Amino acid sequence: MTNSSKRKEEIHLVNGGVKQSTWSKAFNSNAVWEEKDEFLDVIYWIRQIIAVILGVIWGVAPLKGFLGIAIFCIINAGVLYVYFSSFQQIDEEEYGGTWELTKEGFMTSFALFLWPLYWVPLHSLIQSNPTVVP
Amino acid sequence: MSTMFADTILIVFISVCTALLAEGITWVLVYRTEKYKRLKAEVEKQSKKLEKKKETITESAGRQQKKKIERQEEKLKNNNRDLSMVRMKSMFAIGFCFTALMGMFNSIFDGRVVAKLPFVPLSYIQGLSHRNLLGEDYTDCSFIFLYILCTMSIRQNIQKMLGLAPSRAATKQAGVASISPGSD
Repeated sequence: MTNSSKRKEEIHLVNGGVKQSTWSKAFNSNAVWEEKDEFLDVIYWIRQIIAVILGVIWGVAPLKGFLGIAIFCIINAGVLYVYFSSFQQIDEEEYGGTWELTKEGFMTSFALFLWPLYWVPLHSLIQSNPTVVP
Repeated sequence: MSTMFADTILIVFISVCTALLAEGITWVLVYRTEKYKRLKAEVEKQSKKLEKKKETITESAGRQQKKKIERQEEKLKNNNRDLSMVRMKSMFAIGFCFTALMGMFNSIFDGRVVAKLPFVPLSYIQGLSHRNLLGEDYTDCSFIFLYILCTMSIRQNIQKMLGLAPSRAATKQAGVASISPGSD
C-alpha cells in the first residue's frame, strides 16, 4: 500500500512538471519508470561502469584466467539483479523477463572489461614492470 | 616490454578514432539526410505501436485484429528495408576506408605482441588472438584481436552517447521481420 501511494505521488509530481533526472531516479529506490527504454539505458550504463571498475581491480589484483572472467560475469549479473529486483523492485515481466534485463549491455560491458584500458592493459603493464605491483 | 603497453594504448586510441570516423562518415552520408530522419522516426513510431499492440493481443483475438497486425508488420518490414538501403551508402564508404586502414595497421603491427592476455583464449579464438605471432605462448596478443575487442565496446558506447543507436523496439522488430516468413 505504502509503495503504491508513493508511486502515485511520484507520477503526480512528474505530471505536474517536476521531472527527476534519469540518474537521480536511478539512485532512488522504487522510482517510477514511464519509459522502458529509459530504465534499460540505466541498466546498460551501470553495467559499463561495473565493467570499468572490475577491470581495474582485476588488473591490479591481479586476477587471471577464466576464473577471473567467471567471477566478473557473476558479479556483473548479480549486482544488476539485486539492483532491479530489490532496489528498484520493477516487474521483470514488463521488460521481457529477467534474462532480457540480464543480457542488456552484457556483451559490450564484457568487451569493455577486457579492453581497452583495464584488465588486459594493466596486466600487460604489470607484466612488463613487476615493481609496479606493491 | 614497456613498448607493449604503449602499443596497447595506441591501439585503444586507434579504435576510438576509427569508431568516431565511422560515425562521422555515417553522419555525413546518412544521419543528417531528411530521408533517413523521416524513415527512422517512422520505424520507431511503428515499432512501438506494434509492440504495444502485440502486448495487448490475446489468444482469442479476432482474425481482423491479427490481419491488422500482419499488415503493420509488413509495413514496418518495408520501412526497415528502405532504412537499410539508405545506410548502404555509408557501409560501402566505411568498408572501403577501413579495408585500407586495416591493411596499413596490419603491416605496421605485423608480428608484434601488443598485449599479454591474463588468460589463455579458447583454441578456436587463438587463430585470431595469436595471428602472425611467433612462438607457442598463447597469452601473446596480436593487433587484430585487441582491435576487434576494443571496437566492440567502444563503438556501441559512442553510438549510445551520441544518441545514434537505433531504439530497442526498432532493433527487435527488424530482427523479427528478418526471420519471419513472407506474408504471401
